[in-house]
Amino acid sequence: MRLTSFARFIILSIVALLPAQAYSEDGTDARNIIQNAIDHYRGLSSYTEMSMTIHRPDWERTMSLRGWSIGGKKTLIRVTAPARDKGNATLVLDDNKVWSFTPKINRVIRIPSSMMSQSWMGSDFSNKDVSRTDEIVDSYTHTLLRTEMADGHKVYVIESIPKEESAIVWGKEISHIRDDYVELEHQFLDQEMKLVKVLKTLDIREMGGRMFAVRQQMRHHEKKDEWTEISVQMLDFDKKIPDYLFTLSNLRNPRE
Amino acid sequence: MNTASKLSWKIIFRMAWRNLWRNHRRSLIMLSAIALGVWGMIWMTALMRGMVDQMIDNSIKTLSGHIQIHAAGYLDDPSVEHLIPPVNESPALQALLDSNDVTAWSQRIRVPAVIRSEREVYAVTLVGIDPARERGLSFIEESVSDGVYITSVDDKRLLVGRKLLDRLETKLNRRVVMMSQDPDNNIAERGFRIGGIFDTDPQATETSYVFGGLETVRKMLNLGTGISEISLLGHDYRQLDELKKKTQSAAMENADVKTWAEQDPYMGTMLNVMDGFILIWFAIIFLALSFGLVNTLLMAVFERTREIGLVQALGMKSSNILFMVLIESIIMLMIGLAAGNLLSWLTILPVQDGIDISGVADGLEWAGMSSTLLPALLARDVLTANAVVLVLGIFASLVPAWRASRKVPIEAITRVWQ
Repeated sequence: MRLTSFARFIILSIVALLPAQAYSEDGTDARNIIQNAIDHYRGLSSYTEMSMTIHRPDWERTMSLRGWSIGGKKTLIRVTAPARDKGNATLVLDDNKVWSFTPKINRVIRIPSSMMSQSWMGSDFSNKDVSRTDEIVDSYTHTLLRTEMADGHKVYVIESIPKEESAIVWGKEISHIRDDYVELEHQFLDQEMKLVKVLKTLDIREMGGRMFAVRQQMRHHEKKDEWTEISVQMLDFDKKIPDYLFTLSNLRNPRE
Repeated sequence: MNTASKLSWKIIFRMAWRNLWRNHRRSLIMLSAIALGVWGMIWMTALMRGMVDQMIDNSIKTLSGHIQIHAAGYLDDPSVEHLIPPVNESPALQALLDSNDVTAWSQRIRVPAVIRSEREVYAVTLVGIDPARERGLSFIEESVSDGVYITSVDDKRLLVGRKLLDRLETKLNRRVVMMSQDPDNNIAERGFRIGGIFDTDPQATETSYVFGGLETVRKMLNLGTGISEISLLGHDYRQLDELKKKTQSAAMENADVKTWAEQDPYMGTMLNVMDGFILIWFAIIFLALSFGLVNTLLMAVFERTREIGLVQALGMKSSNILFMVLIESIIMLMIGLAAGNLLSWLTILPVQDGIDISGVADGLEWAGMSSTLLPALLARDVLTANAVVLVLGIFASLVPAWRASRKVPIEAITRVWQ
């Protein structure tokens, strides 16, 4: 008994001393922050009501969306307004498979890999942005650049450089994450380290029992007048969501 | 008798020669017409041959090879689902490929894919190659203009066309992402660094192919040992029937063995059409020539009606008169041919390294042609042109010669004109 507790003490002191160094140096810490931010955004399961505004130099339009998701592995997004787009839906399943349903032609289409990086519903988000999964965290080497203070919160500035063989084209990405894991800003830089697009959080409010980025804007740096804004109206985390939502038959014939 | 006939041949030849130069202006015009005609035949043929040769050569070098082996169904659906076992798993094929019948061969993985940079996305064909084997078989290595060629089957870098690189707004040594499908229909994707740039004609090739190491591409696509195609070169692109039969019997049973001409029927037909077209071209030029030739000879014979009557009256046989006119025609044809051949040789010599036609390159590109035209002077075509003019020329001049020999001496002598 004494021996074991002694041993535990020794081990604990080693653990406490050594990894402290390792944590801040090798970026495991930064990786955790990113992982937490993703978990925070997604929750275990969630139901969301939001609107998406696509802005272009000569037009702008707004869509209302409803989304269900389980652990970020399965996601269903349905358009509820305007009438013209009502019923358009996107289903993302575990292994990066994306399906799309268009009521006008009454067809379910699997988005081929070749279209994954194309625009999702005409917005500045790509199909890939919509179907992001956990593995994305391991495709980068994350480094904590610095911490800042803003509005009484600590803000971690993390640089994520894609690994050599990962399927990410960016030169690097820089995230600003608040200590309560709300992401304030996400910059995408090309390989010349020039800014290409930025995801900015415009409004943070308490929703669904936690602080949440309720208004986010994706803006192309080189095309100033083109952006897409997503604004969350209603959010319910950890709500029991039935599995049948995430099926092709439900995609075509909605039961909810 | 013997001496007499010898003597008469000599005399006939001398008379023909002198007759030819009696109206030297008319003869020179006819000579230059023949020379120009022959020049037109040879020169145009050399250009057209050069054009077709180049198109076929381009086609063969653009990954076609002389003969290709695919899995059945691959050509209709060039995906990872249609694969054949690699060469080292079929001893019969290996033996054939290593034999003297085959000068070069290679195996590749070739799938539709998507290449993505920070700003652009393009659909391309991703080809995993064995770099050492591609040497002398395809255009790839010789067209690398920047960076390096694929160094090994495990090379983790890509070789990308210059035009595609510009469209992707990326550069040498930058990373791009390739995306395709694995055999289970899942997305197979991977980041690659661009290790080399290739420049080639036509530019469509630069935008449609991206090359990588065979093993690297295989790993990316989660393939077993299968490959998409085997491409091989024989000795002559015109004679492949035998090699095709051998390949077919050596390859696995349901493999799809095709020659370049079957693979690219447009090019295959082109070659056949060209042979026919050249003959038609010769016929047209000759037809124009023969009118001039017959007219010149008829005129000459007509002018000499009285003297032909006279020599006949003096005892010259009508067959000798026939030969006299014929020989006159043959001398004219021979001199014309010699001048024409010389002219074609002199005009082809300065452009034997190619004619720059880049001004119209855009228009020609769809046909798979390059911006330099390399004339191809084939001995066969030169001989055909000469033979056509000489043989048909002699036939054409039979008419005036026959007419000359059929004159009745008394009528000819007493004939008065003007």
